[in-house]
Amino acid sequence: MADENSPHRRDPIKSSVGNVAAQRRRQSAISVGKERRESLVRAKRFCRVSVSGGGGDDGDISLDHEMVIDEEDSILEAQTSSAVQELQTAVAFQGKGAMQKRVNALRELRRLLSRSEYPPVEAALKAGAIPLLVQCLSFGSPDEQLLEVAWCLTNIAAGKPEETRALSPALPLLIAHIGEKSSLPVAEQCAWALGNVAGEGEELRNILLSQGALLPLARMMLPNKGSTVRTAAWALSNLIKGPEQKAATELIRIEGVLDAIVRHLKKADEELATEVAWVVVYLSALSNVATSMLVKSDVVQLLVERLASSNSLQLLIPVLRSLGNLVAGDSRTTCSLLVPGHEITDSVITVLVKCLKSEHRVLKKEAAWVLSNIAAGSVEHKQSIFSSEALPLLLRLLSSSPFDIRKEVAYALGNICVGPAEGDGRPKLIVEHLVSLVKNGCLSGFVELIRSADTEAARLGLQFIELVLRGMPNGEGPKLVEQEDGIDAMEMYQFHENEDLRNMANGLVDKYFGEDYGLEESSS
Amino acid sequence: MEWNQETLQSLSQCFLNTLSPSPVPRRQAEAFLSSASEQPNYGLAVLRLVAEPTVDDQIRQAAAVNFKNHLRLWWAPSPADTTRILDPEKDQIKSLIVPLMLSSSPRIQSQLSEALAVISKHDFPQSWPNLLPDLVSNLQKASASSDYTSINGILGTANSIFKKFRYQYKTNDLLLDLKYCLDNFAKPLLDIFLKTAQLIDVAAGPGGAAEALRPLFESQRLCCRLFYSLNFQELPEFFEDHMTEWMTEFQKYLTSSYPALESSGPDGLTLVDELRSAVCENITLYMEKNEEEFQGYLNKFATAVWSLLGEVAQSPSRDRLAITAIKFLTTVSTSVHHTLFAGDGVIQQICQTIVIPNVRLREEDEELFEMNYVEFIRRDMEGSDLDTRRRIACELFKGIAANYKAQVTSILSAQIQNLLSSFATNPDANWKDKDCAIYLVVSLATKRAAGGSASATTDLIDVERFFNTVIVPELQSQSIKEFPMLKAGALKFFTMFRNHIPKGVALGLFPDLVRFLSSESNVVHSYAASCIEKLLLVKDEGGRVRYTSADISSVLLPLMNNLFAALRFPESEENQYVMKCIMRVLGVADISQGVAAPSIAGLTSILNEVCKNPKNPVFNHYLFESVAVLVRRASERDPSLISTFEASLFPSLEMILANDVTEFFSYAFQLLAQLVELNRPPIPASYMPVFTILLSPDLWNRSSNVPALVRLLQAFLQKAPHELNREERLSLVLGIFSRLVASPSTEEQGFYVLNTVIESLDYGVIATYMVNIWHALFTRLHKKRTVKFLKSLLIFMSLFLVKHGSVHLVDSMNAVQAGIFIMILEQIWIPSLKLITGSIELKLTAVASTKLLCECPVLLDATAAQRWGKMLDSIVILLSRPEEDRVEEEPEVPDLAENVGYTAAFVSLYNAGKKEEDPLKEVRDPKEFLVASLARLSALSPGKYPQIIAETLDAANQNALFQFCNSYNCPLV
Repeated sequence: MADENSPHRRDPIKSSVGNVAAQRRRQSAISVGKERRESLVRAKRFCRVSVSGGGGDDGDISLDHEMVIDEEDSILEAQTSSAVQELQTAVAFQGKGAMQKRVNALRELRRLLSRSEYPPVEAALKAGAIPLLVQCLSFGSPDEQLLEVAWCLTNIAAGKPEETRALSPALPLLIAHIGEKSSLPVAEQCAWALGNVAGEGEELRNILLSQGALLPLARMMLPNKGSTVRTAAWALSNLIKGPEQKAATELIRIEGVLDAIVRHLKKADEELATEVAWVVVYLSALSNVATSMLVKSDVVQLLVERLASSNSLQLLIPVLRSLGNLVAGDSRTTCSLLVPGHEITDSVITVLVKCLKSEHRVLKKEAAWVLSNIAAGSVEHKQSIFSSEALPLLLRLLSSSPFDIRKEVAYALGNICVGPAEGDGRPKLIVEHLVSLVKNGCLSGFVELIRSADTEAARLGLQFIELVLRGMPNGEGPKLVEQEDGIDAMEMYQFHENEDLRNMANGLVDKYFGEDYGLEESSS
Repeated sequence: MEWNQETLQSLSQCFLNTLSPSPVPRRQAEAFLSSASEQPNYGLAVLRLVAEPTVDDQIRQAAAVNFKNHLRLWWAPSPADTTRILDPEKDQIKSLIVPLMLSSSPRIQSQLSEALAVISKHDFPQSWPNLLPDLVSNLQKASASSDYTSINGILGTANSIFKKFRYQYKTNDLLLDLKYCLDNFAKPLLDIFLKTAQLIDVAAGPGGAAEALRPLFESQRLCCRLFYSLNFQELPEFFEDHMTEWMTEFQKYLTSSYPALESSGPDGLTLVDELRSAVCENITLYMEKNEEEFQGYLNKFATAVWSLLGEVAQSPSRDRLAITAIKFLTTVSTSVHHTLFAGDGVIQQICQTIVIPNVRLREEDEELFEMNYVEFIRRDMEGSDLDTRRRIACELFKGIAANYKAQVTSILSAQIQNLLSSFATNPDANWKDKDCAIYLVVSLATKRAAGGSASATTDLIDVERFFNTVIVPELQSQSIKEFPMLKAGALKFFTMFRNHIPKGVALGLFPDLVRFLSSESNVVHSYAASCIEKLLLVKDEGGRVRYTSADISSVLLPLMNNLFAALRFPESEENQYVMKCIMRVLGVADISQGVAAPSIAGLTSILNEVCKNPKNPVFNHYLFESVAVLVRRASERDPSLISTFEASLFPSLEMILANDVTEFFSYAFQLLAQLVELNRPPIPASYMPVFTILLSPDLWNRSSNVPALVRLLQAFLQKAPHELNREERLSLVLGIFSRLVASPSTEEQGFYVLNTVIESLDYGVIATYMVNIWHALFTRLHKKRTVKFLKSLLIFMSLFLVKHGSVHLVDSMNAVQAGIFIMILEQIWIPSLKLITGSIELKLTAVASTKLLCECPVLLDATAAQRWGKMLDSIVILLSRPEEDRVEEEPEVPDLAENVGYTAAFVSLYNAGKKEEDPLKEVRDPKEFLVASLARLSALSPGKYPQIIAETLDAANQNALFQFCNSYNCPLV
């Protein structure tokens, strides 16, 4: 009999609480979305002012002045082509003053390439700049020349993907020039160019790694201060982005790197700390080795201090994400890291509260995400969040924030209500927390998630509803769910294509709101 | 299956026959196809038939449907010996299907497109790497020549492949697939979308022809659906980078009109509206998930949608667009940008221009009410109205109320008053205003569950006052014909707010409800039945039912009369609401002879009718429940009625069995079992033919029958054990057992049969069969040892032991082969004991094991101390550890046998049900039983057992055992 259509026979509910509880969520390794870092700190950076500080010659002084003039693209392109021609002549020239001639030609090209927001890279490439620039990078060239070449290359690499790729022939020499024998300005400018190349994508990162860029860049990051250190850290963060985890693991194993990270996080100015924090972001996101080394160091403490003391969004974002990644590591790390009752745990929660209160949505979202991972820990962890200032904030965010934040908040609140999974894999309910959250009105927020188009959010909503139905004392759950229009929300899944959601929703409706066949027994 | 002229002929004929109205050739053809489908290359052959242009179109269509279903069943990888579609066939199908689909007629195209979706569900992209590149290159070719038939075919295919991104969970695998699709398809999609947009701009200009626009709008709609799929999981980088290009066109479609197309017949407007709906769904998705990136476009879209709705609200048949557009506004209203609604008078305006016009009844609603009451009720009453504009309009108000509750409430209350006073001034002309008011109140109230005890709430009105002043006059209206839709609305209100209506008031209205059962309107008598049915379920605080048999006794006769009469109205012959009400009333009312006789007569005549052609499973289920509850309750009150019931029901039940009405088999067996159980021995001779049926092995082959057959067999064994022992019946029953137990897919049913026999009969009767029984079990054990089987075997042995004693158990087993008992004990019993689950089963096996431990020489023997200790160890594990620590889940083996050869599923009848019997009622607590038995045993030889325990039991188990001893105060000496 085709009774599948009958409202009385539905598949049994398959998972009850499932993985609301006690699961740490690393941020997805695969993403189809835009990389968000770009909106804050561009992966590729354009160089306008010399790394050696203030530019060394006449041309740069008028730079700002020149910038305002919006020159016609076509004029700029024509000038660029002829500058490359000029360079070609200069390179071919072997006579007296050849070096100066070359430097002059390079400087002219560099000026053209740093003049506008949209440098005439295409024209330069078309005119054949790359082979000439590579030639000028040869060993033994004077610093002044190397600096100009690297600057040109930096700005070419800051262009479109194919323009960045055009740098390929120059990469071995650029890497050679970041070695210890080079002068600092040359090494830094070369590192800058390499950073732009690494920022382009996985393929070029892999080429750089195979050509040995990691070690010299890492060494550049070791000294205590200076723009070189900052540039190197930035380039490194681009270089170890993955998705392969190998480079991250290699980096943390290089002698002195961990110390340098700790040192910079402790003492450096905010600008350098920001770049170093991004290195920590990728180390902790990709490499388990790095994560375990980092948690054993003072890094967590330092991240917390930075979070507490800084108001720079630029810095707070990578610091918060690093902290989140470290907490999202395996549960043992979290436990040893955030011992409940210890000062560090309270201060972590305090800084997270600060971020939840921030105006900036990225900070709110990341803070909620970190809290959800802490809430996935032991019962004591849940209690410390439960009794903190975070709770009312989370409750408020659940009802009033944009979707992505609400979802993270819901994970945190859901995790607070269920204990760690027991032997049978089914997590236990923490009734006290559940009751309090429900009394404070979180149920409508979860019902709202059920109504959303997002399958993950809907599952979370259903799982929480299941907790309420099962766990509220005195069988109060069904009434509460009903009052929040939960039945209505669950009925949206009656014929949903996602089998899991359909079974969960239908199973709950049947189990808690189904027909009562046994009625006549009680009447007689 | 070879592809040749002969195959073509025979398959064609077969598919033609499957469409035949007469059952014999149809069933034959179905059987032929079903067995042909087991041959390799069957799918390929059917696909080739679909491709054959010389074959009649309806045959090709039937073949396309069959092809799709074949793939659905068999494409997914299955265990090696059941694979029906081998890889070479799969490859051929994959290479043929795309071009074939692109070149076939729309109906076949849609079937093949679904088939393609089935394939891609498993194979795409990993095992079908050239599909997407092929589609893209075909798309580019078709685009270059502006061949929109092909373009739309390709887009349609891509659409069905990408749909999975709309509902699956975001896993890394899914994201990898999505990334692959985006890398290959995001740009071509935008290209074709922009190209088509340009063509539309040109063709929509002066002199543009509708015919030129049609395929273009279809194409844009498909592009929008693809946009939806690809954007569902998260906002892809490509789409973020090109958001303006998409949004600009989207906005154009919402704000422009296309008179050439829109005025070219009703489907012209539909085409444009479908595109607009698809756009609305896309912007709703962005609003919900990517509101930050989308906010720059929000204001313009909100304005566009709003003015579009103003236009749409006025005209009929633009539901889909109205719904998607309102949904967009609803999403905005609950988002962080809800302040768009905060302006002065905005909510008031939304109420007047969007909500009220969409909630008001339209002609289509009236038509549906009259022409298709089932669908009307599904939408109006049962929550399938998620996609009606009436409901969605109310959802918008609920959304706004999330942030502006006070305003919404006051505006609506005023609006409701207006509607009611408009009705009062001229009821005949303005009855729809009252309907609108009732609908608003009901829809905006919080949804209530079927049998719950909580109250429906609404802040809009005072429920009791509204009921008395607005609803009661409708219910008491003398004419049941006037304004049937208003009556239906009033009945719905009564049903929805039934908990709020005081008992006295409701009882006063019962005669009116009974009266409405005789309304000619199907909706009205269905709602009246449903209202009565739901009222009888209402419980007061503390779970006591509010309405009892005494409350309905005065209306019972007219009520039953009208219920049966309602089933004689055209279209209501199988009205499930009425039948459910009959079931409920029979479950509550006091059933006298005067009610029972006409009821059973009425029910059997309906039963005989539906047997001819079972159509509505829900109706049929309530029909059988009604019979069962009537039989049970009436016979309890007056046992003499049993023979009346038998006389009425037997012919029907025989007809079901004789005419092979398989849909009703399990119901029939359950009713028979119920009748047998109600009888006092001796069982009337009229049951004996049934017994013969019970012994036909074919019935047992359908696993959906087995639970009901077991139930019937149990009833017979308990009520007529001696009948069983005659005419070799017992050996026939045991023959069924051996058959069932031989295969893992039916072994459970086999044990049901065996356990029933063992439990019901004396040992003297079964002794001679024991050798055969053990033989069958050991053979199976030898051939295939599954955990499920081991558990069932252990339960059977335990049941045997507690019923017939350990001596019989040991001796009968050893009679098969000397010493086999010890072997089974050591290899099966002791190690498997800890796997037992379920409280009855646990008690049974623990007690049986304890008995063995304390009375069986094989264990008590001085040389068997080790074995004794191990047995005790297992018992302690069983009793001391929670189930989940003992039992490892056996990975579930897909049960192929279950899917073949039957379609009916077992549906249990609540009212013919029987509680699970505990075979060991005398033992309360197995732990106590264990320690008490041990204490007695150890008292016989002090010092012996504590030593064995210390030497052989695991430390934790020793500890647990001593805890048991302490808590029951039974020390071991």
